[in-house]
Amino acid sequence: MRNRAQKFLAAADAALAGRSIRGGTAHIYALVRLWHWANAAAILVLSLTGYLIGTGTPAIWGMASGGFLFGYIRFAHFSAGYVLSAGFLLRIYWALMGNAHAMQIFCVPLWRRCFWRELHHEIRRYSFLAVEPERGLGHNRLAQLAMFFMFTQTITFMVVTGFALYGQGAGTDSWQYKVFGWVFSLWPNSQDFHTWHHLGLWVIVMFALVHIYAVLWDDVVSRRSFPSIK
Amino acid sequence: MAVQTPNGFNLDRSGKRIVIDPLTRIEGHLRIEANLDSDNVIRNAVSSGTIWRGIEVILRGRDPRDAWAFTERICGVCTGTHALTSVRAVENALGITIPENANSIRNIMQLCLLVHDHLVHFYHLHSLDWVDVVSALKDDPKSTSTLAQSISPWPLSSPGYFKDLQIRLGKFFGSGQLGPFKNGYWGHPAYKLPPEANLIAVAHYLEALDFQKEIVKTQAIYGGKNPHPNWLVGGVPCAINIDGIGAVGAIGMERLNIISSIIDRSIEFVEQVYLPDIAAIFSYYKDWLHGGGLSSKSVMSYGDIPEKANDCSGESFKLPRGVILDGNLKEILPIDHGDPEQIQEFVAHSWYKYPGHCCGLLPWDGITEPSFELGPKLKGSKTAIKELDEGGKYSWIKAPRWRGRAVEVGPLARYIIGYAQGKAEFKEPAERLLKGLNLPVTALFSTLGRTAARALECQWAAHQMRHFQDKLVINIKAGNTATADISRWRPETWRKEAKGYGFTEAPRGALGHWITIKDAKIDNYQCVVPTTWNGSPRDSSGNIGAFEASLIGTPMADPQRPLEILRTIHSFDPCLACSTHVMSHEGQEMASIRVR
Amino acid sequence: MGDATETFYGVIRRQGITRRSFLKFCSFTAASLGLGASSIAHALETKPRVPVIWLHGLECTCCSESFIRSAHPLIKDALLSMISLDYDHMIMAAAGHQAEAILEETRARYKGGYVLAVEGNPPLNEGGMFCIDGGKPFVEKLTSMAEESMAIVAWGTCASWGCVQAAKPNPTRAVPIDKLITNRPFIKVPGGPPIAEVMSGLVTFITTFGKLPKLDHQGRPSMFYSERIHDKCYRRSHFDAGQFVEEWDDTNARKGYCLYKLGCKGPTTYNACSALRWNGGVSFPIQSGHGCLGCSEDGFWDKGSFYDRLTTIKQFGIEQNADEIGMAAAGVVGLAVAAHAAVTAAKRLRHRPDRPAHKGKPS
Repeated sequence: MRNRAQKFLAAADAALAGRSIRGGTAHIYALVRLWHWANAAAILVLSLTGYLIGTGTPAIWGMASGGFLFGYIRFAHFSAGYVLSAGFLLRIYWALMGNAHAMQIFCVPLWRRCFWRELHHEIRRYSFLAVEPERGLGHNRLAQLAMFFMFTQTITFMVVTGFALYGQGAGTDSWQYKVFGWVFSLWPNSQDFHTWHHLGLWVIVMFALVHIYAVLWDDVVSRRSFPSIK
Repeated sequence: MAVQTPNGFNLDRSGKRIVIDPLTRIEGHLRIEANLDSDNVIRNAVSSGTIWRGIEVILRGRDPRDAWAFTERICGVCTGTHALTSVRAVENALGITIPENANSIRNIMQLCLLVHDHLVHFYHLHSLDWVDVVSALKDDPKSTSTLAQSISPWPLSSPGYFKDLQIRLGKFFGSGQLGPFKNGYWGHPAYKLPPEANLIAVAHYLEALDFQKEIVKTQAIYGGKNPHPNWLVGGVPCAINIDGIGAVGAIGMERLNIISSIIDRSIEFVEQVYLPDIAAIFSYYKDWLHGGGLSSKSVMSYGDIPEKANDCSGESFKLPRGVILDGNLKEILPIDHGDPEQIQEFVAHSWYKYPGHCCGLLPWDGITEPSFELGPKLKGSKTAIKELDEGGKYSWIKAPRWRGRAVEVGPLARYIIGYAQGKAEFKEPAERLLKGLNLPVTALFSTLGRTAARALECQWAAHQMRHFQDKLVINIKAGNTATADISRWRPETWRKEAKGYGFTEAPRGALGHWITIKDAKIDNYQCVVPTTWNGSPRDSSGNIGAFEASLIGTPMADPQRPLEILRTIHSFDPCLACSTHVMSHEGQEMASIRVR
Repeated sequence: MGDATETFYGVIRRQGITRRSFLKFCSFTAASLGLGASSIAHALETKPRVPVIWLHGLECTCCSESFIRSAHPLIKDALLSMISLDYDHMIMAAAGHQAEAILEETRARYKGGYVLAVEGNPPLNEGGMFCIDGGKPFVEKLTSMAEESMAIVAWGTCASWGCVQAAKPNPTRAVPIDKLITNRPFIKVPGGPPIAEVMSGLVTFITTFGKLPKLDHQGRPSMFYSERIHDKCYRRSHFDAGQFVEEWDDTNARKGYCLYKLGCKGPTTYNACSALRWNGGVSFPIQSGHGCLGCSEDGFWDKGSFYDRLTTIKQFGIEQNADEIGMAAAGVVGLAVAAHAAVTAAKRLRHRPDRPAHKGKPS
């Protein structure tokens, strides 16, 4: 199992370095890594700027016309939002076109018996009751669950509400408002969306904490996750 | 059949009953019922407030700094006065003091309300009780012009001006679409004005409609908008910046100039239009001195418009403070808002219940549980009332009492107390007006006196606006530009538990808010409002309130068209959304209409 | 009716507008409506004024008060010449049964031809008797007058969203009008109160153009409610520059910086305040130094303190803002992670790290 993991990761590394091993598969895994790190960067920018937008910055001196600090912060937020959204769209495309693992973070097979068995096993493993990892490739079942609920769902929510709120500024005749403005019929006062969008930031912070820790832990305990190869 | 109430009125409900519901040209919903004797004289009167909104229960658990915005929405006519009372109550509870400039600005805003509200009340809510609009069509514009010029230097008084107006009115009435004048009591025998006086009054009805929107610009400048300007616990939100960077965004020369000009124009309008109209109209009605009611017996005023910031003493207040009982003008009794023996509310005849049922409660401890039940002599049903039974519960208004006594509040009460205190600014204008009409001082105790006191107070308030505007400028000149004290803005700086009260003299009379704060949230909030005093139902000992008292003994010319009742009730300027905003215990399961 | 009728044409002629420019105005209007110019001219010259029935439920009368503040048109012109305000408790001469007779007459005579303007809203608890009108629940009058109306105008936040009496816990169960009446053309004009010129502008739009205005997806006239206070705020440049008022009456407040950090709800409030301003254009809340309360938005009373930037979240049964909840949750997760790491470390100290970590066979 470890060998296999090593093999495909080596392929991924090779792809990143510009060498092609075994054609398309390597490219795709490279793209997934690229997606991952683009996401990480975008989320970092979004979280920091988002926090500042919610709280406000200490006032800067000088004439209003001479400064655009808050404007730049918001610009960075919106740009990173576009990067995240574009990547997310590509990821959805890949989920539809790619192999079964590509679907993992979008679809949790709650109806499958093996899912629950494997999930149970993973919970035991994280509770130090079992040691052997269940499966070889892709996310384990617990990770899949976390990815689906904390990442995929939250990002979907953040993209939709983010564009709806952006549409308010872009104007009710903008495409953003036309595509996403429907959310305001759920809660007519958009103040609610600001609040919940801001809360979404904290869900992602929690996700990032768990995510990074789990990667390192898995690496240390079972030496099977990605960083161990580097 | 007649019974005498403890406060000295004979009631007899055996005669013919008339009902007025809705009583219009007021704020909110009010129902009046009256019994007439065989000579069509009113022998019994019933005042029933018919709305309830529950704002105080909504306030519980909220941030005390927000309370002004909620209470302000109790009433949009006397807009801002509840907000002022609320910030004062919170400041009193938390020991916050405000800067001198904030005091001047708040006074200007409150005085602006007095001027605006009195003017609109007289012309648009009250004048049609004295003025026959249709009769104005019959007049010769030349004689109207002559009359107008004889009573006032107001420039809009040429024969051509009145002719144009008459043509316009002619077209309006000729169209058959009478709009707000439809189904009025035109031609009623109780209208006494000659056609030319009617035409002047109609002209001024329209001019006042144009002008009133100017007065409130004062509130818009200091508070951002009107109705419902913005207020702030600890001061006022508008900052002063006279000649620094960004001054154009704050209170500066240009803003001060607008206000100054509005004050000048207000003084001019009140002195050249409103007061001469009052004198002219009342010269035709000086025989109609009904409607005194409680005013000759018991009146109360909390006092307001402090000269010095944070000083609530009678010396600092420009409007008088005190209570007169039993017509004893020689003794002005002191008021203490924190004394549980003084201000209490009773619910024996109101649609609420208290645990003990008979006792009165100090507003700090006030509780209200709605209890919509009707007396046994009710005619009609619970949701289709034909005649109320005043022996049972009959109003959404509670019955507030001062040391157990019903009192009248409002401009007339303020003028009577000011007069009794011998204050020249109240005594002299009143005497001058009465002398001009050739009436004794006791003529003040009437519907006419109430309406006249309001006009005099309007003039007084306009001049006081000038006083405080000048004071503000002098203070800024001295280098003092602070408008807010934020040392206790943050809840961390507050005591864990606090209670306080705030009060004002609203256009309609004495207004008080009582607040208790616990863990930085509102624990209890109660308002006792002018129309609650005036429009109150009977209390447990049978005392009647000011509305009811004022109607007793008034003869009616045509009971089918109850103009006299409207006239007297309107003279109080009732504000029903204020009086019946009150509170409930949450979680009451009540019969409910299903939404489709 | 001819000469005796007070019409729109009569008003503009009196205001010094010639017949020629009147016809020009009509042809312009006609072009934009796709109608013949002469028919519009004829309509405005002869058409009787639209009857308006204005009802008051649970409210504070601020909408009526705002309406009479209108600077253009002057409200006297609106009342005498543009509409026929046949029923409105606040200013009508008639009272009691004479007043109620007007309602019956209007229903019969102008069936489907009158505008029903509603200020305030009906309470449903206590059989509707928290608002009694003519001895009966107000809701009865409202629904009966709505049936025969041409359109309904919901004045203010009470009629549009519920406003203060519907704030939690809404003891009277006050409901917005469109929860009760769903089968009539319906226009929401929210605000606590709406701006005077927005109210008179809506009324004159209907009388001038003979149609109802374009509405947004929340039922508000797009012409007044399609942009936020924030979008046209004159302090917007300070927002973009990151210049905020930190405390009341500080240097920044005196310079007129952005009120964002003091809880201004301009960024989430759709209204025309920053563009049209109030009371003939002299000011609006932000210009006078106080943040926007968001009074034209649904449920603005229940979003926490007006002075908080991040509004209170009550869904979890506690009152905290997003940052407080988020930081607490992230803290818990952080602690859990740390505890898990500690347990892992302890375990690894007890077992030799180079020993295979699992008993099963490698795949």
